[in-house]
Amino acid sequence: MAHLPVSPEKLIEQFGPHLNYPPREGFAGRDEPDKAVKTHCCFCGMQCGIKLLVKNDKVVGFDPWEEFPFNQGRLCPKGVQRYMQNNHPDRILQPLQRKEGVGFTPVSWDEAMDKTVAEIKRIQEKYGKNAFSVLSGVSLTNEKSYLMGKFARVALKTANLDYNGRLCMVSAGAGNKKAFGLDRTSNTYADLEKAEVIIVAGANISETFPTLTHWVWRARDHGAKLIVVDPRVIPLARTADLHLPVRPGTDSALYGAILKYLADHDMLDHDFIDNHTTDFDKALAAVKDYTLEWAEEITGIEKAKIELAAQWWGKAKTSFLLHARGIEHHSKGVDNVLGCINIVLATGRIGKPYCGYGTITGQGNGQGGREHGHKCDQLPGNRDITNPEHRKYIAGVWGIDEKDMPGKGYTAYELIEAIHRGEVKGLLSICFNPLVSLPNNNYVREALEKLEFYVCIDFFMNETARHADIILAGSLQEEEEGTVTTAEGRVVRIRKAVNPPGHARSDTSIILELAKRLGAEDKFTYRNSEELFNELRVASKGGTADYYGITYQKIEDTMGVFWPCPTLDHPGTPRLWEDKKFATPDGKAHFNPVTYRDPGEITDEEYPVILTTGRVVSQYLSGTQTRRIGKLVDLYPEPKLEIHPELARKYGIKQNELVQVSTRRGTDEFPANIVETIRTDTVFLPYHWPGKKSANQFTPATLDPVSKIPEFKVCACNLKPLGVISPPSTASGAYASI
Amino acid sequence: MDMSLNKKALFIATGVSLLLISFVFYGSRKLQNFDPALIIYLFGTVFAFFGIVYRYTVWLQRPPTWMYFKRTFQFFFTGKIFLHVISFAKEFIQNIGFQKFIYPRGRSRWIGHFLMATGCTMAFCVTFPLTFGWINFTMNPATSINPSRVHMYEAHFFGFKMFEFALGSFVAFVIFKALYWCSWLVIAGVLIFMRRRLTNAGLVATQTFEGDLLPLILLLAIAVTGLGLSYGYEYMKGIAYDYMAVTHAITVIMFLIWIPFGKFFHIIQRPAQIGAHIYKKEGIKRGMAVCPHTHQEFATQLHINDLKIVTKELGFDFTLEDGTSHLDLSPEGKRSRLAMAHLKARQQNGGNLFG
Amino acid sequence: MPVTNYRTEQEFFVDMQRCIGCKACEMACSECETNGHESMIHVNYIDRAVTVQTTVQVCMHCDDPVCANVCPADAITKDEFGVVHTANTARCIGCSNCVMACPFGVPKKDEAYDLMMKCNMCYDRTSAGKKPMCATVCPTQALYYGTREEIAKMRPNSTPVNNFIFGKESVSTKVNIMMPKGSTSLIID
Repeated sequence: MAHLPVSPEKLIEQFGPHLNYPPREGFAGRDEPDKAVKTHCCFCGMQCGIKLLVKNDKVVGFDPWEEFPFNQGRLCPKGVQRYMQNNHPDRILQPLQRKEGVGFTPVSWDEAMDKTVAEIKRIQEKYGKNAFSVLSGVSLTNEKSYLMGKFARVALKTANLDYNGRLCMVSAGAGNKKAFGLDRTSNTYADLEKAEVIIVAGANISETFPTLTHWVWRARDHGAKLIVVDPRVIPLARTADLHLPVRPGTDSALYGAILKYLADHDMLDHDFIDNHTTDFDKALAAVKDYTLEWAEEITGIEKAKIELAAQWWGKAKTSFLLHARGIEHHSKGVDNVLGCINIVLATGRIGKPYCGYGTITGQGNGQGGREHGHKCDQLPGNRDITNPEHRKYIAGVWGIDEKDMPGKGYTAYELIEAIHRGEVKGLLSICFNPLVSLPNNNYVREALEKLEFYVCIDFFMNETARHADIILAGSLQEEEEGTVTTAEGRVVRIRKAVNPPGHARSDTSIILELAKRLGAEDKFTYRNSEELFNELRVASKGGTADYYGITYQKIEDTMGVFWPCPTLDHPGTPRLWEDKKFATPDGKAHFNPVTYRDPGEITDEEYPVILTTGRVVSQYLSGTQTRRIGKLVDLYPEPKLEIHPELARKYGIKQNELVQVSTRRGTDEFPANIVETIRTDTVFLPYHWPGKKSANQFTPATLDPVSKIPEFKVCACNLKPLGVISPPSTASGAYASI
Repeated sequence: MDMSLNKKALFIATGVSLLLISFVFYGSRKLQNFDPALIIYLFGTVFAFFGIVYRYTVWLQRPPTWMYFKRTFQFFFTGKIFLHVISFAKEFIQNIGFQKFIYPRGRSRWIGHFLMATGCTMAFCVTFPLTFGWINFTMNPATSINPSRVHMYEAHFFGFKMFEFALGSFVAFVIFKALYWCSWLVIAGVLIFMRRRLTNAGLVATQTFEGDLLPLILLLAIAVTGLGLSYGYEYMKGIAYDYMAVTHAITVIMFLIWIPFGKFFHIIQRPAQIGAHIYKKEGIKRGMAVCPHTHQEFATQLHINDLKIVTKELGFDFTLEDGTSHLDLSPEGKRSRLAMAHLKARQQNGGNLFG
Repeated sequence: MPVTNYRTEQEFFVDMQRCIGCKACEMACSECETNGHESMIHVNYIDRAVTVQTTVQVCMHCDDPVCANVCPADAITKDEFGVVHTANTARCIGCSNCVMACPFGVPKKDEAYDLMMKCNMCYDRTSAGKKPMCATVCPTQALYYGTREEIAKMRPNSTPVNNFIFGKESVSTKVNIMMPKGSTSLIID
């Protein structure tokens, strides 16, 4: 809907981000809380167990939950401070309506709902069902993820539903489905403990999954060799046995060369390849020319290092390969993932104790959220919306005619393009802040301004929500019961600690009310989250992500159940593939040929430097929550441009000098942080900030042809020192940057 | 604390105590103005005085304390003495009078402390001179004879008449009831502190009964029995007066004698804070120390130099191989050097992370 | 000190090589009841321009604490468990002697409070038989709190060391630093 109703400064003044600090002696009642609720941290896929201390229906502190098996009380700084998102002055306490020149004014729930439903109906009647779209998010619980999918298909009847998992693990998901027929990390992280070699590929574990570090260190206590592939010396790489500083965008060349080396030196598990896999020959044929010399040329990693990595991996008896967004956020994200899987399959080290492989999923419910159908091509149980049998089964569960079920819609970024084309006119968003998290975000902003109607469900006024016509005051993770699935595939319980404050409502109740008003009340009759979960269990039954045997009680009794768990007496599956029966149609794991190709944008004379993006330990994704927590913001107040001294010298850039960064999509200024811990041809920016401090104003919308993930990790930029030393970071106000 | 007898301190404390006794003797005009009812308090006070001076002297002899004491006096009497006097006076009012530095630690904490401190200080100002017989009040004989005139009281200090005031006047009210006000201030302050000490989990974990709670109980007992004495006399016809009097005397004497050894010694120590400030100010004028690791200024060079002397006197020698001192490093520099040493040890052991 | 369920068999073990500089410990430390939302643990880069190496420093609780020795106000005391407590608020005159003399760079002066504050090993937790907050949350267990037997079993190639050589001075502490197997002291020069 058009431009912002008032200046962003005014909106910030009213709705934040403001920094929340605890009082000097803690919140009142922390010493004698009413209860300590055992639940999970809302930030990242580790889903660490944590206890929230509650006094008078407010979260007033935390306590480590030392019994939860994955983290045993361990937390990262975000986890420690997570309790500060509750009890926050920026909290939206009632529905809001956009008012030109004024900003947002409170309205009653009835008015907000009436307006929303009227606009949805108007748009759908005028432009067709698919002209109203939904963007969902993967920090939602399994129940809410499932509900959003069903709501879009059954109540809104739109095909255009996608989610921010599109920016997260779709490349891994697509790769895993191709190779294994199923999308989940193959082992629990406890299997790291006695792995002889660990490859961490494009995963800044030390900053994005700090609590996973413990398990990597446990492995090293047993003598494991750690190989870290990353363009930067991340904290995990500092002590690694081998650091491969890969040139951004060239990962598949590295894994191709390793595969060739393994084959050339016969470091293969022939028995496994022959009996349990297909297409090894094709994969090998694709890399026949990928010599170490060639790989050195492409990746910028010394060939001796590549050789050493291949030898270690080849000779090991047990191993674990972990990857994350570093190799997945590419226009060939799926290729990179398949390249990794190929070297795992070639050595047959999967489905055995201490032999593992997996992606480390990033978002709070990155695993569960990507299985239950709020993705444009997916139905619950990780079913395929284009598969007639899958459609029929789910239509049966939902009690609708299969013919009424919409088909595949646009992916997240394609949806933005469709809005630009005028094809999509309305949007409902929940748990998604595309103005910070999508690439090329100036283009995203223009799209938002073209919408006829935009309704946003959120607990804080995120940057995207400022463009909304109606904001529905939703709930935080700790305000609703539910389940999430951790990055290990463990389904755990999120417990309600407090009620939504003021007139805010639980997300579920908002969606149910909308469904009712859209005339689909009979299809949405859940009295509580457990009933919703029980329907999800049935919907997932027989799918690859089978939750049927998991109940709330079972989770309670066992501190989490690993899917697949097809029957009530099934104990769950912590380690996949022990029977060597893969979930592909032929029951075998599939090699996939990976041919190297360049990233979507390569450096040239005009834009000679590689820009890559990532995260810092104190912030979570688009920062809607973490940019409001004072102590976290203080740890890293503003994004700094990491640059190698050699490159800085070339441009005459001094420490803390403001540098103008420009790409084909945007130009802005950042203070330089000159460090030797990055490649000499690459600069780095973290992406959690909006507006002028946003890294995603630079990133390109080049999408992976299969997964449609945008290429956040590589683009070409130009640098210009501005001759001004930046003021101290504490004064930047970047947390609320416009 | 060294518990063996410190001869120097004993000598000084004895001397100063004798001096006090002579002041009491002559100040009360050879005991003419001395109130015999207060004799027990006098003994307690003199003994406490002895203890305080003894403890203070022992304290001053500790190398770090002596260093500060010495330096403060050097600075005070060299350079711009006038400026120092002004800043000393300012700090005295801010930090001793109003305990400004407590406010940022917590508002209720400051209020409580300020009430207690003000109550106690005012009470000292009244009771010590009274006990010593340095002040006394007499009725103006001229006014007392004539029933039609307002009775006038005369206040004497060291036996000299200072001023006169009418019985029943505001001044009389303030003077004769001064201890009431003190008691109420102390009681309010103690209650605020008691509440904190009983409810704040951090305090509950770290406080001790004799170090933190007993002093509060003692102050409360003194204030309550003191009030009881007066109010009991006025409103209860002296019922339990004896009991109150004895309890009051016992608690006051316990309080006095305990000053040198317990929590209340901080009242005597506190002015050293101003000394530390002067020391820092003078040090800044003379130049800052720069950390060889961080290359940032972090303390005054004077402070670092003095610490090297003090640590050596205390038996610590942080001189490094190259002749520099570990104390030349800032705290951040020291931490970094430790981590670097740890890394070096790992590198000498093959360089791999050891499990 | 009152209480106590202080478990004397449990010790503190620090291993800086494991530190990833995430500052979870700093966040958690300031949640400790005894220090009013100030962090008493120090994590800082050694030299960010060249490395991401960080220090992580808790109070080492020296056997003969230099901080207590140099305190002109007798504000720092060691208890029967060897825990060196933070400055007694009534006594501390804010002179910073301890801050500058501590060989580990631990005490910190809060200028607004005119008071030194330092780690007291989460006395509110340890005196109740719990682990210190920092060691409980540390995601890498660079900070570990437990028994000698436990750590020996977990980290067979390390030896806990509690003797530190600063030039001519040797300082022994209650807190241990994990060193390569067989080490007896850590030399800082």
